[in-house]
Amino acid sequence: MIPLENFLLLSAALFAIGFYGVLARRSAILILMSVELMLAAVSINLVAFAAYLDPEGLTGMIFAIFVITIAAAEVGLALGIVLRLYRERQTANVDAADELKW
Amino acid sequence: MLRRLPLPSQFDRIIITGGLVAGVALAPLLLVLLVLLAVDEITAPEFVFWLVAAIVVGGALGTVLLPNIVYAALSLVATLLGVAGVYLLLGSEFLALAQVLIYGGGVVILLLFGLMLTNATDDPVVTDGSQKPFAAMVGLLLAGVIIAAAYDATWGGSELAATSLRAFGERLFGDFMVPFIIIAVLLDIALTGAYVNARRERAPAGDDQEASS
Repeated sequence: MIPLENFLLLSAALFAIGFYGVLARRSAILILMSVELMLAAVSINLVAFAAYLDPEGLTGMIFAIFVITIAAAEVGLALGIVLRLYRERQTANVDAADELKW
Repeated sequence: MLRRLPLPSQFDRIIITGGLVAGVALAPLLLVLLVLLAVDEITAPEFVFWLVAAIVVGGALGTVLLPNIVYAALSLVATLLGVAGVYLLLGSEFLALAQVLIYGGGVVILLLFGLMLTNATDDPVVTDGSQKPFAAMVGLLLAGVIIAAAYDATWGGSELAATSLRAFGERLFGDFMVPFIIIAVLLDIALTGAYVNARRERAPAGDDQEASS
């Protein structure tokens, strides 16, 4: 039987890799992809907890469904914003959008 | 900028190269795991788990490290399909199917369209020389803290219980009906907002017709 810690280990690794991507990447779309990695890591955690600790309630799996839905909405909305930024600046580099940072 | 994006005629090359790289990277691991399985060091579920975990982590590393954005997007597909495999291991077929359909079929296609429409390059030479070491440091620190916490805690159950799709559906559409409806409305609003935000603004002369139509 696989211990629960294995899934938590995988999830932590995936989350940290996604976090590194968010911090290191400069292209808005690559940052979005890294955010997807982090969301996937959280979903793995939720499903693992649901399967091991809450087999009657299954609350974690339902939350994972919600996470997937929110991720889909987030990607659509964020890509709209990135397209808008690209049309204004001719670049998708997040360093080009720093007007709030005087 | 354009030169860094692969042409459609180069897709064969990408697929062959990607397959070779994945094969070469996974073959030693597969061998080690098969030997361990043969000597009964690990059980069959653990064998599948480590294989899937290698695909997930390898794809994730490719997503954040590869300089070519199309390659990064393709390794994101590998990661997300690997996550679907993890869901299958955890006994929730429905989530695995939803993962493949929504991520593999929807989100990644959307991201590829975004790449195509913005021609976004991630040029490390121009932008981030100084940021990567700090990002790596913070990431490693975060991973260390989470893993230490996960191993330090005592979790209640250690048995992977079988979950039935029927119970899952009854729970989702029974107790969680209202959140489900709210999520649906949220998705609708978000996608409408994305459309309104991203559409091209018309010339001022056509404004009245746009508003009335």
